[in-house]
Order: sequence, then C-alpha cells, then structure tokens
Amino acid sequence: MQTVSNIHVKESVDHLFRYHAGQMVSVLCRIFGFEKIDLIEDAVQDALVAALRKWPFGGMPENPTAWLTQVAKNRVLDQIRVDRKKEPAESFLELVAKSADDEQIFFSREIHEDQLRIIFACCHPSIAPDSQVALTLKIIGGFSISEIARAYLSNEAAIAKMLTRAKTRLRETGVALEIPAPSELNDRLESVLKVLYLMFNEGYAASGGDELVRKDLCFEAIRLCRVLAAHPVTTAPRVHALLALFLFQGARLSTRSDHRGELLLLADQDRSLWDKQMLASAIDHFRSSASGTELSNYHLETEIAAIHALAPSYESTDWARILETYEKLQKHQFSIVAELNRIVVLEKVQGPGHALIALQRFEKEYAVSNFNLFYITKAHFLVELSKSKEALAAYTRALDLTSNRPVRKFLFGRIKALSS
Amino acid sequence: MPNYMLLLHDRPMDYSQFSAEQIQGVIAEYVAWRDKVESEGKLVGGEKLKDEGGRHLSGQNGTFRVTDGPYTEAKEMIGGYFTISADNYDQAVETATGCPHLKYGGRIELRETEPVH
Repeated sequence: MQTVSNIHVKESVDHLFRYHAGQMVSVLCRIFGFEKIDLIEDAVQDALVAALRKWPFGGMPENPTAWLTQVAKNRVLDQIRVDRKKEPAESFLELVAKSADDEQIFFSREIHEDQLRIIFACCHPSIAPDSQVALTLKIIGGFSISEIARAYLSNEAAIAKMLTRAKTRLRETGVALEIPAPSELNDRLESVLKVLYLMFNEGYAASGGDELVRKDLCFEAIRLCRVLAAHPVTTAPRVHALLALFLFQGARLSTRSDHRGELLLLADQDRSLWDKQMLASAIDHFRSSASGTELSNYHLETEIAAIHALAPSYESTDWARILETYEKLQKHQFSIVAELNRIVVLEKVQGPGHALIALQRFEKEYAVSNFNLFYITKAHFLVELSKSKEALAAYTRALDLTSNRPVRKFLFGRIKALSS
Repeated sequence: MPNYMLLLHDRPMDYSQFSAEQIQGVIAEYVAWRDKVESEGKLVGGEKLKDEGGRHLSGQNGTFRVTDGPYTEAKEMIGGYFTISADNYDQAVETATGCPHLKYGGRIELRETEPVH
C-alpha cells in the first residue's frame, strides 16, 4: 500500500496530533486494557498539553510522536501507581514489564493490528450506530467532543453523555480487543463498514454543521477504510468497493462550493479540479473490488460514483447505465434516498414528465414531508416543465426544511430567479 | 544591543479542553514565532520552568526559611521565559506582541536586563 499512503502525506502532517492521539489510545488500550480507556484518554490529552507547554521553549523534539507516546505511557503508569491500592502489586509490575516490551511498537506494523482491534470494539453491535460513529471518531480518530458536536450539530453535553454510555456498555459487555474469529468476521466487518459509511456521509451530506470538521470526517472514514483494505484479514472486495466509493466522492469534495462558499451542483463543478490522485486511487480499489463473486451495495454505489467521476463532462454522462445500476441497487436493498436519486436520473433518461409522475408516486408511498431533497428535486422537475408557480412553492418548502447556509443560499437564488 | 526578558505568565489548566487539532495549531504558531525571532538573530535564549511552583526562600534575623513555591494555588504562574535582543522597548514590544502566548490568554511581562559592568 506504499503508493496509497504517499498520497496523503500532507494530510497526515496537517493532522499529525489527531492521528497520533488515536494511535496512542489504540496501543495503550492493548497494553493496559480497554477498561482503562478513560485514564488512557486523559493521559493522551495530558501528553498533548505537555507538548504544547514545552515545545515552544525548546523547539520540537527530534521524534515528536515518540516523545508524545513516551509521555502518555508514563502518565498512565503514574496514574496506575497512584491507584495501586486497588490493584494487586504483581499486576502493576506485569503492566510495567509489558509496556517496556513495547518501545518499538509505534514503528512496527502491529500498530495497524491495534487500530483494527479497537475499530472492531468501537463498532461492536452492542452499541447503537450513532454511538459507534461517535466513539470511533473520539477514540481512534482523535476528534474532541466539541469537534464531534460541531460535525453533528449537537451539543457537547449530549455527545459526552453518549460516549460515556457507549464506553460503559462496552466495558460491561466485556468486549475483547481482538480481531473477530472467522465465524463472526463477516458480520462484524459489516458493522464496521456501516460505521465508516455513516461517518463519510455525515461529512459529505450538506445537512449543516461545521464544514471544516465535516470534511475531516470524510478523510477519517477514508483513512480507516484504508487500514481495513490493507490488512490481510479484513481486506475483502466490499472493503475495496467502499474505499473506492469514498475516494470517487472525496475527489470532488473541494469543488462542491465556489470561492464564496456557495453550493455548486455536479453539473456546474469544474471537473479539472477534481483530485486526480484520489481518482486514480479510487480506480485501483474499484478494480480490487471486482475480485471474487461478491456483489454488495457498496459495489453498486461505487459503480454509480465511478460513472459520474469518469465522465469527461456532465453532458456526456452515461445516464442510462447509471439508471440501470440504480435499479439493480434498489432490487438488492431498497432505500428511500437511493429511490429519489434514481428518479433524478430517470429525468435525464426519460425527461421531466415521466420523472414527475414517478416522483408523485414516490410522494404517495413514503413520508416525505420533512425531506428537503424531495422538494428540491420536485422543484427542479417543475421548472423544467415551466410550472414556475408550483416550483416556487416546492423551493419555499425546501427552504423551510434546512438550516444549512450554503443550501439556503442556493435555494434563495432559485426562488429569486423564479419570482422575477 | 540590550536584552529583554519575556516572562510568560500562564494558567496551566487552560488547555485541557483543547482538541488535538487545536493543540497542534497552537504549537505551530509558537514554533513559527520562535523561528522567526531566531532567524532575525534576536533570540538569545528561552527555558520552560517546571509547573510545580519551586521553592520559596526567605531570611530573617540570621535564620532562613524554605517553603514550597507560592504559585501552586495561584491562578497564574510563570511558565517559562525567552530572552531577546532589541534596540529599545518599542522594538522589544513589537517582537513580544507577535508571540501567540497573548492570543491564548497568557500575559507577558517584558523587562530589560541591565548590564552590570
């Protein structure tokens, strides 16, 4: 995976502390046990603060990550020493001995194993999907509670409570830090992939929240998916498919708004600005996903993303093939969002008249009254059919349903154009 | 050229709620400031002081007393110092105001050192 890891060197320097915080927690959890997670998280935070208070005076140490790790590990040991009345003496000595063997751990490939073990723990089915995502971001991603709250438009107290509950649940369930046995692996991997999928979409969807943090959610999902794709036990065609999906979409991340922060639709995006390295890597993983007989949702979604990403222009997009893939996807596993997307594509292939009929059927069948994308789509078809008055009503409804600033700006623009 | 001492007063707990990302950003700002002062040939030295407050020594009537530093309970303590060279106070102030310490709620005490010979 040498070529892949080179692509985001800058990304990882920019987020060195965050990444390394997650790595330290993973490694320290293996050494000291998951039940010490709170102590470990505090120790890692202490190490980062110690760096902040020391490095300005003497400059950076030669090996910053080794420095941080050493400080964090010593903090854990110090704290355990303080608490040692509760612990039998031998167990403390064992811990010291065990941690002493691990000096080289951060430079070995075992760090990936440690991360993998903790990913599986954070995505354990005994906790709810939302908590799985938040816990993964906090423990492995090194995100702070405030960053998670900003990404989710939630408040810090709610996120903190959610994390505490999830950690307690994992401790009570006695979740082991291990890569699941082959008999379980398939299901457990599925829930990990679902967490990454949610994480990416939370970052990608224009549903509000802090844009910078949300972008980082996408990159974190990509990074963790790479860990899975690179490990012999977890590398599976659908893992490569999911990674390719993230990369195809991630490649256009920075072209989705213009320099004023206004939303740009796919049709208006400058394709020459799409990240070519990410696209190349996406194609690699898309190829790897085609081995074996497995066909997952991720394969189909990736195929759609690939057709979009590889079309030289919006006009030359192979809409018929996209429509066909959506139909396959819906047969495979139906989802309301994908159905709406299918209808959007239907308009490209069969025209707005047909698409509007499909959309009206969709409206009757599903609860759409709070679904702003439905109203945006409806308005778009109505505009195409020159029904401005009805289009105006649909755009207005969509506007009522979103607090996302770029989306609201976009909708204001449409409404203004229709009103004049 | 005279030397000036920047005594950096700070509150050690202030950063506990910072995210890893923010901490990295703050360090980068300090390092950039330090590098800039150094590259201009104005950095004479700097050291971090330990947080525990040190010892306080006082003498009276031929005896002396050693107590733990008075700073542990205080809201502010001197976290460390830099020594810089500058032509005058104005220039020293200019260099000191670039220090991110001020941006993050710390206080800088600026004193000119006095040559004794």
